[in-house]
Amino acid sequence: MKDNIFAELYNKLLGFFRQAEEEESAKDVACNRLRVVLMQDRTNLTPQLLERMRGELVELLSKYLEMDKEALELNLDQEGEQMALMLSIPVIRAKDEEEIEKALAETEKTQEDSEEDAGDDSADDAEDEEEFEEDVDETSENTQTTQSDCVSESKSVKSAEMKFPNKEICGDCRECELSDDIECEKKQQASFKKTTK
Amino acid sequence: MTGRVIVITSGKGGVGKTTASANIGTALAKAGNKVVMIDTDLGLRNLDLLLGLENRIVYTIVDVVEERCKLKQALVKDKKNPNLCLLAAAQTRDKSAVTEEQLKDICDKLKKDYDFILVDCPAGIEQGFQNAVAGATEAIVVTTPEMSAVRDADRIIGLLEAKEEIESYRLLLNRVRPNLIKSKDMMSVEDVVEILSADLIGIIPEDTGIITSTNKGEPIVNDEKSLAGRAYMNVARRIMGEDVDFMNLEEETSVVAKFKKFFKGLMGKEK
Repeated sequence: MKDNIFAELYNKLLGFFRQAEEEESAKDVACNRLRVVLMQDRTNLTPQLLERMRGELVELLSKYLEMDKEALELNLDQEGEQMALMLSIPVIRAKDEEEIEKALAETEKTQEDSEEDAGDDSADDAEDEEEFEEDVDETSENTQTTQSDCVSESKSVKSAEMKFPNKEICGDCRECELSDDIECEKKQQASFKKTTK
Repeated sequence: MTGRVIVITSGKGGVGKTTASANIGTALAKAGNKVVMIDTDLGLRNLDLLLGLENRIVYTIVDVVEERCKLKQALVKDKKNPNLCLLAAAQTRDKSAVTEEQLKDICDKLKKDYDFILVDCPAGIEQGFQNAVAGATEAIVVTTPEMSAVRDADRIIGLLEAKEEIESYRLLLNRVRPNLIKSKDMMSVEDVVEILSADLIGIIPEDTGIITSTNKGEPIVNDEKSLAGRAYMNVARRIMGEDVDFMNLEEETSVVAKFKKFFKGLMGKEK
């Protein structure tokens, strides 16, 4: 009989501490998942477009960082009136200068090839791209600092938040001025530049 | 007389639309209103079962639309309450047997003789939903504190907001389990309200009495001791414009729980 009481007490205590340890309850998980899914339901961004955006981001960032591509998380979130894009990428390590330059040279090469195909129209694009690349060089430094900030949370996960302003003039592309649609690639790049600077 | 046409909808199936319709209708009639309920779930009718009227149905809404009978002939009076009647759905036809215009027309005719017309909507967002919503100016969105039900409710709310005829909609949160909310295993009423940002019309606790009342074909509002029954009565009063406080389910159930514990303790000692 006494054993029983002690066992019960022990279990209760254990249960109490376990509860305290657990950060997220089932209800919190449900709420968070629902918020994300409703955000997607309410916008017109299809899963295909999100997937494409994800692919392009991975391609871009992998020039500078070695990261766990499979674990990349891309979510839309609502913060009051403004929509925010939450990007979480587990970084394995930042690449060294040599590697980065090598990757950049490669992309430049492919770009030149495509330029030849596309002709004059893409000249502006190339300029934009160069500018963009310089900016991202700074970014890789920035991300390293954020990385150390986040160490307490988890070892190699860093998160960057990019906000899309409703209207952003980006180069010669006028599409985004006409609509609030975020599909415009230049707009994405422009806002990325802006926030990471 | 110009009655109010209220559609009871949810998107997801199985959250308690028909149970809510039967109980709110009965509660409104008990409070002295003239109420007619329309089952628009053609092919899958069930409102007749919940009201215990399945053996009295002669004509259905399809018979009215196809002019095999007059509208009044098709209205089935409730066993207990002469203020309440049902316009049943056809069981042998599908959703295309009635159009939006025809349903709107029926609602407009019934408005003249009744205070409330409750339209029980089928699950889904297809034609059945469009038909049910066609004649209504108000909506009650039934949901439960589960992810899939909340998501579907959000979709329905989006569709209702796009409809000009719908002047207002309110949320009925069904199958709430205070114990699970307390242990943070279930989303709370506040969570759901915040996520959907909609006004509440009622909170109905999970109640095993619903099963027995369905089996008997008698809405649970007729049982004044039942918690769910009282919650539905409150919903009806809020629809009528009364300002009724929401029940504190945690307190209500914990008293029951305490009593049960006490009783079990006594039994244990006797052994």
